[in-house]
Amino acid sequence: MTPIIPEDIVTLATDMFPRIITSIVLLLILIGLSYWQRIEMEKLFLISFTRGLIQIILMATILIVIFELQNLWILYIILLFMCSFAAITAKRRFPYPNIFQIELFSITVGSISVMTFVMIVEIIPTEGTYIIPMGGMVIANVMVMTTIVLERIVADVKKSKGIIEAALALGDTPWNAVRSITRDSFRAGLLPSTNRVAVLGIVTIPGLMSGMIIGGINPIEAAIYQVIIFLMILVGGFIGELIIGFFFIKELFTTEDQLRLALIN
Amino acid sequence: MSNTFNEPECPFCLRNIFYQINSKRILTDINIRIERSGITGIVGPSGSGKSTLLRLLNKLVSPSEGRILLEGQDYNTIPVRELRKRIGLVQQRPYLFPGTVRYNLQYGPKIWEVTHSEETLVDLLTRVALQKEFLDRDVDGLSGGEQQRVSLARSLANKPSVLLLDEPTSSLDIVSEEIIENTVKDLARDGTKIIIVTHSLEQTRRLTDHLLFLKEGRLIETVPTASFFEKYNEEEIRGFFKAKTKEDSL
Repeated sequence: MTPIIPEDIVTLATDMFPRIITSIVLLLILIGLSYWQRIEMEKLFLISFTRGLIQIILMATILIVIFELQNLWILYIILLFMCSFAAITAKRRFPYPNIFQIELFSITVGSISVMTFVMIVEIIPTEGTYIIPMGGMVIANVMVMTTIVLERIVADVKKSKGIIEAALALGDTPWNAVRSITRDSFRAGLLPSTNRVAVLGIVTIPGLMSGMIIGGINPIEAAIYQVIIFLMILVGGFIGELIIGFFFIKELFTTEDQLRLALIN
Repeated sequence: MSNTFNEPECPFCLRNIFYQINSKRILTDINIRIERSGITGIVGPSGSGKSTLLRLLNKLVSPSEGRILLEGQDYNTIPVRELRKRIGLVQQRPYLFPGTVRYNLQYGPKIWEVTHSEETLVDLLTRVALQKEFLDRDVDGLSGGEQQRVSLARSLANKPSVLLLDEPTSSLDIVSEEIIENTVKDLARDGTKIIIVTHSLEQTRRLTDHLLFLKEGRLIETVPTASFFEKYNEEEIRGFFKAKTKEDSL
């Protein structure tokens, strides 16, 4: 898994040119589809991909240094930085009070707890080479899962506010009144990763496993690592979902068990 | 009904109630004393704050200013869930929970860890003129009128001492309207306090004992129904119910 830093940038740029053009064409198709279907995500696609490209190029240049890190504290600080960045990205789509804190807490607890667990049981070595890419995968997926949960809760509460208030009017607790909504949102958050597990090895050959095999690791060992990664994603994601669900539902209701309609409208 | 307060004896009183949302004033300085018994109608043009007033009474929203007293006790000192059990609300639309009629009728009591017997459930259905066969029917298959009757029975399952009804018959056929009105009259006769929002002049005449008139969020008249129909002529009465123009809207 030794990264390659090419010495000749000009040669690299020449080699990369067709790939860059292909990327731009694919991005334009994506933007075109969005424009055609009026889903108003063109700007988001453009900004996200430009930002992502810059970030990953910057990351590539410092990857060797990070991969050689063995100091656990520094590795944790890097993971926390990644969680914060994920939380900032996730909160942009939700204009609700305290959403950054809620996102940060859920992503951090979900990801770091599961990372810590696999380190404690010595499933993965406490080296940057393992912790950073695995942590990145877990954090990114937990962010996506918590975002799906939030989106689903907001949409379903808007749609079902009459039923929610009917339950409250009978004396029910907010938690019970939205129980089916939170349950559905957790399921929705878990489904994409679960589907990916279901087609693992047949439809998808994940990057981490491929990289490990190319790097010389036994394919069976690489496959087991990949399964562990998916389990880490699902466990960490589920923990993140529970946390974000809990805190967001708390925000949605007053201390008098009243639905804050103004918040979701 | 009067606007005077003797707090310890106040059956159901609103005192200097203001309610606003996003700087928009919905209710302004409402002072009402509602007696223990009978059917009180809240009437007024669309947008006058009638439904908001009911939501305040069920504590689905809280006033921006002012106090509400129930049996002399400040609303804020009564645990909100207990309060909602005592003061039932039937919304304009039925909003039934997905599942059977039985599930809906058991929903309220189960919150309080009570399971009604089959006999009680059948009795609840009988009160809204539905047969016991309805118990295991899915609510999705019911007509609008049947759904609203189940919604009323669902509120009654909690045995509320006060029942709030927000235009419960506004989208129903004549038969369902009559059934609900009869149920409401029976409840009032049995001692349940009824507060109903209506925009129907005829329903007001048929059903209510006392009237509260709201206009642009202000209480403009509190009067026994009989006196109201004696005091005002037909044109003035229609004026009370007349829908506001857009410019008047809050």
